[in-house]
Amino acid sequence: MAETINDELLVEQFNRNKESAFESIIERYSADVAALANRLLGWPGDVEDITQDVFLAAFVGLKKFRRDCSLKTWLFTITINKCRSYKYKRLLRLRRLPKITDKASLSLNPGAHGELMKTETFERVRHAIATLPTKYREAVVLRYLQELPTDEISKILRISKNTLHVRLSRAREYLKQELAELM
Amino acid sequence: MTEEKLKHLLQKADSFAGPPDTARINLSVLRRRAHHRHIKYSLAPFAAAAILLIAAAIWKLPAKTPDTAPGQDKIASLESQITKLQASTDAAIDLIHQVLEQEKRQSQLNELQAQLASIPDPLEEIQQQVDKTAFILVYQADRLYRELNQTESAVETYKRVIELFPENQWAQVARERLTEIKEKQSYKIDLKGDSKWKLQNV
Repeated sequence: MAETINDELLVEQFNRNKESAFESIIERYSADVAALANRLLGWPGDVEDITQDVFLAAFVGLKKFRRDCSLKTWLFTITINKCRSYKYKRLLRLRRLPKITDKASLSLNPGAHGELMKTETFERVRHAIATLPTKYREAVVLRYLQELPTDEISKILRISKNTLHVRLSRAREYLKQELAELM
Repeated sequence: MTEEKLKHLLQKADSFAGPPDTARINLSVLRRRAHHRHIKYSLAPFAAAAILLIAAAIWKLPAKTPDTAPGQDKIASLESQITKLQASTDAAIDLIHQVLEQEKRQSQLNELQAQLASIPDPLEEIQQQVDKTAFILVYQADRLYRELNQTESAVETYKRVIELFPENQWAQVARERLTEIKEKQSYKIDLKGDSKWKLQNV
């Protein structure tokens, strides 16, 4: 509640041309926005560009923000949109997902095989998430990783709760098939 | 296989990946980018209008030259100007068509390249499948041994991995697991031996 009031105050200050209020918004939400972008794009690790784009769009559009949802929800909506167009541009540039660790260097370490197991498990989960259709992946990330309530997810994705439940259900079916051996 | 297990697996993967690199968002950079964007979008219509005005002025220019030639000559001169303008317009349209054609070919090429890049190498696919199978067997054997306490079944499975995929990295893991189990079992036998000796000698 206190945070909502503070957010409104910050938006109000920004609308009165006090741009330093935006610095507080960046400080408050940049980690969340970066974490969400990282999860939506398949954990590439480096999401600085896209986080900048999100806050640029927020900076330009904050005066038109209608306050029909919380500031966080609004920022997450922008993040989702940026991630969608970012994935499309990256596909055109034929970039691949970077591997989290180098398997060759792992094999030289004493506890290597345990780490290799975890890496392999992680790569399988990442692949399963990456092959989900975008609309299902967004629902899964927001629900199970961001742990947002369904009301908020419906607002972010601009879909009804029924549609959200259907997407989550289909995503779960797909992931259960892909990751059956790991559960 | 419940929703909770799936959520747990996803969260485990997420924590393994770790948080993203900290992005330093600079307000002055944002301000500068927003300003450039504003210039781009607000000046674009003016730029377009200026180009149209210049084009219209160039179009009208021949009509403002002093009227010295008699009627017939004037008509002939205007006709030749029209022909020239038509030729240059045709050339401009041809150029535009060429550029559009080139762009279309480039985008088709990009699409083909994307499709080609997405076709997996069959040998790599096979190797991945082998790795995947070996990994699943070792994973299941680990669960049998560590969670379900079914050592015999676990040992069978480890041996199967070694038998089927002797050169695979997971076969090495299986060998290590078997060594570990063997050592634990011989340690237990030693302990039993010791305690039996102690009982006999009381």
